[in-house]
Amino acid sequence: MEGEKIAIDYDRVDVARIMEQIKDKTAAEAAVEFPARGTAAAPAAGIDFAAGLGKGRRVLLKIMSPFAPLIKLFILPVHEELRRAVLILDHANRRIDRLEKERERIDRLQEYTKLLHHLCHNLVVEISKLKIEEETLKTKARIMEKDFGFLEKREKALEKDILK
Amino acid sequence: MKLALVVQRYGLEINGGAELHCRWVAEHLKKYAEVEVLTTRASDYITWKNSYSRDEEDVNGIRVRRFPVVRTRDPRRFGRLQEWLLGHEHQEADELRWLDEEGPRAPALIQYLKDSEGAYDYFIFFSYRYYHSYWGIKTLPRRSILVPTAERDPVVGFRIFQDLFRTPRAIIYNSVEERKMINDVSGNHSVPGDIVGVGTEVPGRYSGEAFRQKHKLSGPYVLYLGRIDENKGCHKLFEYFLRFKRESGSEVKLVLAGNTVIQVPSDPDIHYLGFLGDVEKFDALDGAEFLVMPSFYESLSMVTLEAWALGKPVLANALCDVLKGQCLRSNGGLYYETYPEFREALSLLLSSPRLRVVLGENGRRYFEANYAWDVIEKKYLALLNRMEKEKGA
Repeated sequence: MEGEKIAIDYDRVDVARIMEQIKDKTAAEAAVEFPARGTAAAPAAGIDFAAGLGKGRRVLLKIMSPFAPLIKLFILPVHEELRRAVLILDHANRRIDRLEKERERIDRLQEYTKLLHHLCHNLVVEISKLKIEEETLKTKARIMEKDFGFLEKREKALEKDILK
Repeated sequence: MKLALVVQRYGLEINGGAELHCRWVAEHLKKYAEVEVLTTRASDYITWKNSYSRDEEDVNGIRVRRFPVVRTRDPRRFGRLQEWLLGHEHQEADELRWLDEEGPRAPALIQYLKDSEGAYDYFIFFSYRYYHSYWGIKTLPRRSILVPTAERDPVVGFRIFQDLFRTPRAIIYNSVEERKMINDVSGNHSVPGDIVGVGTEVPGRYSGEAFRQKHKLSGPYVLYLGRIDENKGCHKLFEYFLRFKRESGSEVKLVLAGNTVIQVPSDPDIHYLGFLGDVEKFDALDGAEFLVMPSFYESLSMVTLEAWALGKPVLANALCDVLKGQCLRSNGGLYYETYPEFREALSLLLSSPRLRVVLGENGRRYFEANYAWDVIEKKYLALLNRMEKEKGA
């Protein structure tokens, strides 16, 4: 349990810095803790790591230090972390599913909007055509009215000529 | 301005969680606005059984209207349903069924909200996950303010809540982590909000010495305050503490106060004192070396703030992101994830009175800057004024 001392600047205490040192200290120890636990059930290499063997222990620690993260992964109670990670992933997954459905819905809406746009465009074209046609028909009607007026006058003139 | 605070339970006997948070906010806002509380007749959060008989009463100068719960909760059926929902694909209708099962189902409260929309300027809902908040906010979205008090609990990912978090006029968060979590699950970045939290009432007088004498405690002790429950990480605390004692031979004791849900180990170094009143709680904190907070799920941890208010450091569970974040922001406490980290942090705190003083002082400054009642009141008023201006515009 003894180990390097944790350096603290009391004038400016930084919790993050203290925790980094604690983590560094305990990470090295975690490498020892794994075989120590193992020896309790079955003394694998015949060395009691928990008791500490002075120089031999330090040498072993040094040799094992590159594997510390891996050992930590296997021995630390990561199940809680894993459970939480799985839950977060599950939520993320559901959210992605929902977003995917939402995207499909938006795609469909986009297609529908395009169709509506075409429809509007065609309606505008048709209405324009109808408007032009209406104008033409109005003009034709006016011409016919004039022709009718002329024919009326002519009819009256001819009637006068005949009655004379 | 007339405000209605809507909460699942309300009363002087309820001394923790969102209910106490609501009571304190109500009692502090009454200086600035006419405040009423709308709640249920329940006092038990497990079954929601109606236990208050009066429809209306005055609690510390606040008018409280109570509405009956029409169906008590069956914890086992509710637990089974929640388990199933968390493990299976399901529909929104299933989640609404879960909400009904969770309760407290008080349709008269929702009807009252509907009928009296014009009688109040704003409705402040406490606890996002209960019936009253969901249906209340759906009934009055434009006048609702939500105080979610959300922990990193899997149900926060339910679809009904994603929609709920996007509905109110504003949201009052307890911590940076809570805001981030809710923003992440619901994408409600556009809903205005602020990180406010809650203050605490520190009694004028408290004495650690008197507490030690009363409970015959000698030597240093670390204190845990709150429900003694697996969810609060107490089982791990017992395991780590007893292992620490075996390995270190330290004379430190663990003192626990609060209601028990799990068995407290029978050990001469673990003292369980039962439930403590408000004043005695501060006596206990004053006498302690520091507070230990092993909880996995917290949205704020009022007891941590109380420790800091008294200038006591905290040893917190780093697996709770809120506690870790608060320790880092305040520089007022250490944290741990594993036993070796617990042991090192505990040893360091016990062996260095100077560190305890500096951490405690940092905690006190952090508390005063962020959680003193005048700061909290100003934040509430600023948010309400902002909403009034938006309404006027």
